Amino acid sequence: MREGVCVIYRKKQVIPTLFILPSILLLGIFIYFPLVQNFYNSFFDFSVFSPTKEYIGFAAFKYLLQDKVIVIAFLNNIKYAVVSMVFQVAFALILATILEDKLFRRVAPALRIIYFIPVMISISVIALLFGFIYNPQMGLLNSFLELIGLENFAIPWLGNATASIYAVIAMSQWQSIGFITMLFIVAIQKIPKELYEAADIDGAGKVRRFLSITVPQVKETMFVNTLITITGAMLVFNEPYILTNGGPGFSSMTLSVHMYQQGFVKDNMGYASAVATLIFALTAIFALIQIKVSRTGKDE
Amino acid sequence: MKKVPGLLVMLLIFIVILAACNADKGNESANSEDTVGNEDIVEINFFHRWPNEPRKSFYDEKIKEFMDENPNVKINVDSVLNDSYKEKIKVLVSGNKLPDIFTSWSDSFAQNLVSSNKIMSLNDVISNDKDWSSKIIESQYGGFTFDDVTYGIPFTVDGKAFFYNKEIFKENNIAVPTTYDEFIEVLNKLQEAGYKEPLVEGLTNTWAISHYLGTIFDRVVEPSILEKDYNQETGEFTDAGYITGLEMFQELTTYMGDVSTAIDHEAARNMFGNGEVPILYMQFAEIKMVEDIGDVEIGFFNFPEVSNGKGNQTSLTGAPEGWMLSKNAPKEAVEFLKFLTSEETAFEFTKTAGQLNAVKGAVTSENVKANSLEAYDIIMKASSTAPWFDNAVNINIADIFMRGGQELATRQTTPEEILKAVQQEAEKLKK
Repeated sequence: MREGVCVIYRKKQVIPTLFILPSILLLGIFIYFPLVQNFYNSFFDFSVFSPTKEYIGFAAFKYLLQDKVIVIAFLNNIKYAVVSMVFQVAFALILATILEDKLFRRVAPALRIIYFIPVMISISVIALLFGFIYNPQMGLLNSFLELIGLENFAIPWLGNATASIYAVIAMSQWQSIGFITMLFIVAIQKIPKELYEAADIDGAGKVRRFLSITVPQVKETMFVNTLITITGAMLVFNEPYILTNGGPGFSSMTLSVHMYQQGFVKDNMGYASAVATLIFALTAIFALIQIKVSRTGKDE
Repeated sequence: MKKVPGLLVMLLIFIVILAACNADKGNESANSEDTVGNEDIVEINFFHRWPNEPRKSFYDEKIKEFMDENPNVKINVDSVLNDSYKEKIKVLVSGNKLPDIFTSWSDSFAQNLVSSNKIMSLNDVISNDKDWSSKIIESQYGGFTFDDVTYGIPFTVDGKAFFYNKEIFKENNIAVPTTYDEFIEVLNKLQEAGYKEPLVEGLTNTWAISHYLGTIFDRVVEPSILEKDYNQETGEFTDAGYITGLEMFQELTTYMGDVSTAIDHEAARNMFGNGEVPILYMQFAEIKMVEDIGDVEIGFFNFPEVSNGKGNQTSLTGAPEGWMLSKNAPKEAVEFLKFLTSEETAFEFTKTAGQLNAVKGAVTSENVKANSLEAYDIIMKASSTAPWFDNAVNINIADIFMRGGQELATRQTTPEEILKAVQQEAEKLKK
């Protein structure tokens, strides 16, 4: 009996392998090979113009440790991650719960679309749009602040060294919250109604039901969203690149923008590869920590 | 058995995807093959940096004209703006996708491109067609010539000067400053007269900072030291003049206002064109753009002399821009280059775009207004010219100065800190 199972098992293994093959090949060519090549490149010093590469060992990684911009950029990425966690995971969950509440049944579909629209707009368009909103001379934001008598708070948002990174982060929140909310809505809809009914009978209020049923039930989704948000925050490029190009000075620099500038503006392709390796390592570490902490998939 | 067709379909899809990837690559290198195999169509990839008007339409029209004259030529055009152009051309060089004909700045920008060994030497082209090449002002070739080989044909000439609003100066009884100290006095007077930011600038465009710094360093640092420092192999940047220069720039940013780090040069130009700001540091290439905005009466003066500055007190900052060819460009691209730099095209170009050109006899009172003619005269008579700073030094050095300039404007750093970073970078680049 046992042997028979084994034969079938072995026979069956060929077909599934063949099915996986295309994706393995594609992954290999477009993800794993570039990853290894990037790591290899970070041991060389070369520019986009030079036909040859010069081996420099760990020099690029040593310089990573001295590079002040890396510290600024990393802190900005962390700010990005923290703010995104609060708005895109915590706030989006609350938003999703509200939208799924009986009170909002009628307007929820419309609101869902409204929140989701920014996700469908190209990031370049959004960045240009926010460029107008933040414009110090005729921007909507400053005009609004002046209108309600807060002209003291009307600063050149993208030109101020302290405010620029937060202005960039704010734009991302506006754009991404709809997407995360949508994921939460799907998760909430899958929660069995019986749980809520039981809670009702027990006399639980809305807050209690949220904390004791919704939150534990969407834990898996919460984990996925946290992962998306944090890796997204570590990789963020478009928003700061288009809005401020990392400026003024280096105040809104992120790791990806720094990498791009080192590679394609300053011609240090080797060092840019080292920065890319750092970004990969950071993202991988964060992902591993989260997987460990949340022990995903082991609940069932 | 049912699984087999499914598998075949999968494989088929996979092959199609791979084939599609291949087909893409095939298309890109098609130009040269076309020339050999198919005499009917020669494709020329043309890349310039003016997706904005009036130059975009001008070049679109010229392309059409050339294609009408040469029915066997098809020109594919692409364009992106200034800073993006600098980045994109590097990506194209590294990816072996260099366009056949494209625009380039002179000096180190051109030198970088040349070092890729992918740029066509134009010595033969120039010597084989004297009728055409002798029409171009000889002095302008310098920025495109390295080790006696010329790699680019200069087309536009330019210079940087302070543009001022003559009416505002007259109203407030202000004379054109001749020294830096007088200049500061003028700025103070203008501030008293109610212009909060008399010298606005769009500092988000870091090149705007480099233009300031390049000129200032040319005024305050000894020419021999500059020459040594601008060379990557010998650069040290230890002269005290750089500190003085950065301090001067910091002083000037106090007249630019908080708004300057949040706007770009175009916004600043619009403010000047609308008469909102009295002075702006601009290129002569922008004369027509300012004239198109409003009817501000423009005057210009060169960056004033700096008393006890050790540098060149009367030099003009500005360098030509021109056209380069890729090594593999078809002979039709050479023809197109000649077409673009012919006297007729140049004359029409200056008439349309207002920018001055390097072709003899193509700037006259017939195609430019008095302002531009005055500027042309200044360029032609300049005692010496200083190159654009971001093209003169290694980009890593320039970037520290330029980002540092932004930080000086937002009061996050000091001239000493910037120079220290520059010295470290210079040390690194020497190796």
